[in-house]
Amino acid sequence: MNTFNDDRRDDNDELSMMLNDLPQVDPPSSLTPTVMSSIADYAKAQVTQPQVTFMRRGSTMAKKVLWSVAAVAAVALVALRVAGYPPVEEGTEATIGAAQRYQAPQIAAADVKVEDQQFQSFLQSDLFRQLVNDKAAQEALKNQDLQRALADANVRTALSNDVIRWVISNNAVVWAKYTANNGVIANLRLDAKNLAVLQAALNASPALVAAISNVNIANAISNSNLAKVLANSDAMVAVRNDAVLDAMFNASSNVQIDAVNDAVSNAKVNVINK
Amino acid sequence: MDDTEDAAIVARCLAGEHNAYEAIVHRYQKGLFNVALRMLGNYEDARDATQTAFIKAYEHLGSFNPEQRFFNWLYRILRNECLNVLRGRRPSEPVSLDLPAGSGADPVEVRERHQAVQAALLTLSVDYREVVVLRHFTDLSYDEIAATLGIPAKTVKSRLYTARQQLGDRLVGWHVAR
Repeated sequence: MNTFNDDRRDDNDELSMMLNDLPQVDPPSSLTPTVMSSIADYAKAQVTQPQVTFMRRGSTMAKKVLWSVAAVAAVALVALRVAGYPPVEEGTEATIGAAQRYQAPQIAAADVKVEDQQFQSFLQSDLFRQLVNDKAAQEALKNQDLQRALADANVRTALSNDVIRWVISNNAVVWAKYTANNGVIANLRLDAKNLAVLQAALNASPALVAAISNVNIANAISNSNLAKVLANSDAMVAVRNDAVLDAMFNASSNVQIDAVNDAVSNAKVNVINK
Repeated sequence: MDDTEDAAIVARCLAGEHNAYEAIVHRYQKGLFNVALRMLGNYEDARDATQTAFIKAYEHLGSFNPEQRFFNWLYRILRNECLNVLRGRRPSEPVSLDLPAGSGADPVEVRERHQAVQAALLTLSVDYREVVVLRHFTDLSYDEIAATLGIPAKTVKSRLYTARQQLGDRLVGWHVAR
């Protein structure tokens, strides 16, 4: 390998000649068999246990308490925005706490829809905090194809399937274009049922195909919290909200919750009316 | 075999055809092993680092971006393995320089010179050592070394310059003109 393919002005001096004169050493003959034996064992293990590793959940009680407190504040802000601030008489501007407690019961039961609960649940979750700090997932979520795909209920249903997420996280769709016969998906170790689910998901949404054909998104699904979002119906609802997305993209780590709430309020986008 | 063929082989591996990976190992084993050998200065350590790098690469094939060069990705894995070996060495632990000779019968003086150059390489910091190794033991250009290491080409040249100065100082007994 001591043949060089670009300008090497410095390669004719004595030092370079001494370096280039160092012999190339043949690797041990056992190297290839050892590697192939190890990956055969690994491949066998993968057949019996698909590589779905992104469902791990880890949290501490202290974090839960912290985020629960933040979530309560977020819920209060959303409720105030929905109900509308009562006209404040001059001289009572500082009595916000009393006004909040008085106004809260005015939310009618009919106003509280499932999506609101999902949104609130997402705000209180560790996943939200992780997502705010996860640049790879945020970049993926900015993708218009992925956003269009996530808006489709059929796609969301498909993405809730572990096998499909495993396929995506292994870049199988991306890899398909590198094979002569586009046979990667067909050759995946999927049983007929899962293959049918995958094919149906891909047929259902060209946007899904476009999104997961983006290697960065596929890698984000593999390596980031995006996989958790896809698996979490509450998060799926929340991240389709433009204000939440914008706030996550722009929030600094110290003001995450405030930024989201401000964005939701300022844009007058509340999930209840969505 | 070019980079597109690498990607096609990786795709076959991802589809479950793990034997296809043997072509990858055959293609890169000599280059990577020699890089590891010059980085670590020890035959067994280089063998272990190279084997581990290939195995880890296979286990994480799904995270490889086929738009990039496979060697660059593979080298970064090997580099991490080499760093792990170096971290695991005690500071005062002597490094075996009893490397296998190249093909043909080397005269004693040539062998001693090889050992002196290898010993000088090992005195360089990892950042400097790897640019010298990549420059002289692979086919990579400055730009390709930069892409492999994730640093600007001008940084590669700067490090190479400093590394060569330091090597020249260490090899002064061999009347090296820099």
